[in-house]
Amino acid sequence: MADDRKRMFAKHMEIKYTKEHGTNKMNGGEITDKTVEYYRLGVDQNPRKLEMKKAGKELAEKRGLVGYNPMMHCGGIPLGQRALTPSFLSGTDDMVEIDDLHYVNNAAMQQMWDDIRRTVIVGLDMAHETLEKRLGIEVTPETINHYLETLNHALPGGAVVQEHMVETHPALVDDCFVKIFTGDDELADEIDSQFLIDINKQFPAEQAEQLKAAIGKNSFQAAHIPTIVSRTTDGGQTSRWMAMQVGMAFISAYSMCAGEAAVADLSYAAKHAGVIQMGEMLPARRARAPNEPGGIPFGHMADIIQTSRKTPEDPANVTLEVVGGACMLYDQIWLGSYMSGGVGFTQYATAAYCNNILDDNLYYNVDYINDKYDGAATTGTDNKIKADLEVVKDIATESTIYGLENYEKYPTTLEDHFGGSQRATSLSAAAGSAVSLATGNGNAGLSGWYLCMYLHKEAHGRLGFFGYDLQDQCGATNVLSYQSDEGLALELRGPNYPNYAMNVGHQGGYTAIASAAHAGRGDAYAVNPLVKVCFADDLLPFDFSKPRKEFARGALKEFEPAGERSLIIPAK
Amino acid sequence: MAYELQYYPGATSVAENRRKHMSGKVEKLREISDDDLTLVLGHRAPGSDYPSTHPPLAEMGEPECSVREMVEPTPGAKAGDRVRYVQFVDSMYNGPSVPYFRSYAASINFRGVDPGTLSGRQVVEARERDMEEIAKFQMETEMTCPALASLRGATVHGHSLRLPEDGVMFDMLDRCRREGDVIIMHKDQVGRPIDKKVNLGKPMSAEEAAKRTTIYRVDNVAFRDDAEVIEWVHRVFDQRTTYGFKPEN
Repeated sequence: MADDRKRMFAKHMEIKYTKEHGTNKMNGGEITDKTVEYYRLGVDQNPRKLEMKKAGKELAEKRGLVGYNPMMHCGGIPLGQRALTPSFLSGTDDMVEIDDLHYVNNAAMQQMWDDIRRTVIVGLDMAHETLEKRLGIEVTPETINHYLETLNHALPGGAVVQEHMVETHPALVDDCFVKIFTGDDELADEIDSQFLIDINKQFPAEQAEQLKAAIGKNSFQAAHIPTIVSRTTDGGQTSRWMAMQVGMAFISAYSMCAGEAAVADLSYAAKHAGVIQMGEMLPARRARAPNEPGGIPFGHMADIIQTSRKTPEDPANVTLEVVGGACMLYDQIWLGSYMSGGVGFTQYATAAYCNNILDDNLYYNVDYINDKYDGAATTGTDNKIKADLEVVKDIATESTIYGLENYEKYPTTLEDHFGGSQRATSLSAAAGSAVSLATGNGNAGLSGWYLCMYLHKEAHGRLGFFGYDLQDQCGATNVLSYQSDEGLALELRGPNYPNYAMNVGHQGGYTAIASAAHAGRGDAYAVNPLVKVCFADDLLPFDFSKPRKEFARGALKEFEPAGERSLIIPAK
Repeated sequence: MAYELQYYPGATSVAENRRKHMSGKVEKLREISDDDLTLVLGHRAPGSDYPSTHPPLAEMGEPECSVREMVEPTPGAKAGDRVRYVQFVDSMYNGPSVPYFRSYAASINFRGVDPGTLSGRQVVEARERDMEEIAKFQMETEMTCPALASLRGATVHGHSLRLPEDGVMFDMLDRCRREGDVIIMHKDQVGRPIDKKVNLGKPMSAEEAAKRTTIYRVDNVAFRDDAEVIEWVHRVFDQRTTYGFKPEN
């Protein structure tokens, strides 16, 4: 293809690397220049670092114990010997300080994970059968509405049934609620709209039909326990908190005897039989409860992100938003904090969702595929290419070489992705997602990921940190294996899948590849229609349809999180 | 007919240079004295004895072992040297070597080495005198340009950054500088000042670096133009993929 296309990262590179703005001192030049003058201005060139330096000094004085001091870096040579450039969130024009993309400094990132961890889906049908068949209690839309009103009082921590109980303050748990959804339009019509996730309104018509067909006449509760509860405990608490309050709400709403045996059935349904966790529990060596990030399959994460219902005509955009959300969760929070610690993981993750470098690579691939394969990268099912190794090789090779050559032609992009792991993530996510878009097959996309790793390593004689050599050299061998502990459909693999458990910089890409396969087909969901519908809710504090924009809002301090404690602490 | 080692595919100068690095048949371009090498490595004072972690093997009374009899210990192992490291950083702007080919060169041509390969750096750990041998070999030959490659124990991201105007790869810790027509090093690998300026020799010209480099770049030898290498990568990919796909098992 002709090389005259306008690069999507050009504007961001120009602002970051050639223009002075604020304290960002630059000497002009072009984004294609291979040489530059380094001013070595240190942390004093950057407003956020200066603010942090001042805060560190004040902290030391206040507590009589030293803390943050940038002069401790490298024996007194602080960060900033090259320009400390801000970043743009990809797909936006929002420029942010890079420190503000560490989740500790970003309330939106924290809330994204809070909103996932505090969510559980609970089937209603088993409970209704218990009430109707065992107790002979009639269940009608009216009783369901009454039950949901009761539960929206009880779930945040309001007492029902028992007398003289402590309760939680509603202003501290104002993000807690429960709604229901169903594939049954007749039942949905009878449910009070405040309690309903209306599939017909939230999804494009074609996707709504797919979802309703998959869900059928069944009905489910989308329960979100209070952020403050979830943060104080863990993901395993979500289903327990929900089940206790669901049980109490049933007793109250249906005037049951508090101790009758049927309550045990309702509890069992709510705690176990009818529960869909966002993530499975992990084995002992990485022991975590259900609903912790290491147990969230890539397919679930792809469904949690909601862009597919907003821009179904642009599957690449869907994929890129999934990259953003999943890299943040899996790299920055799961691997970067649960499994490790510190600050380095943010650097891996942000490369995939900042400055449009990955976006440019993927949209180039879309053009390449549409030109060569007759529109195969546009949304649809009858336009896909058969997934075979020749197709994988063609698309992944073209994608990888295009991406590599961008780093070579635009030295500012190489400087932006200054580590090989960042480049490997971006290149492989582009190659793998492109194959998925063209074939509608996530495992073919995964195959493209691995080929990209091989080509990248060979072209530049380097790849990522040690782990990339280990996992990415053997990964192709299990792409098509479905034997236990060796392989699975990509949608069902997850962060704890063998070989992936320590793959920093990978899991967000894998999620994108899984997502791309379905976004390319125009599917309403990747693996679980219930998860997709559950997060199609505008009442959630975090907008899952545009995670990258939300991260920008968090960095710019425009995002309003939930679970704040200002009501119960001294005013400052 | 005796088997001739193949090392690496490809019909370009980059592929040929990669074969040279792997074979160890590289051109010597400069001299580094033993004392200068010791200074920049920063592990011990020049002229001092090698610190040891155990007595010489000859004094150890080793157990009877067929493997020990078959494998001749390296000089460092014989003497009981401690294990130390040398770490190189290579600029992506036509630096003569790249991490993987430093590792291949070490593994193929030297004994008792433990190479580690990352994106910005390549480390070899070995018994101290053995490590010094491979360090000196790399610093004195076409595997290294003193402006485009550097000894760095920490802070290695200069490898991917634009070159400063003097052509010396960016170094946050400012370990190397151009002085006149040579590159000097005035700090050791981890950035501690050293007592003298060590002359690392003349940098390669841009033309020479382009000729000797082992990295594919679109502005020199483009990766997409080395069809044989791409074909070989595809073959590796095909085989690894189909090997894992064994539904009959």
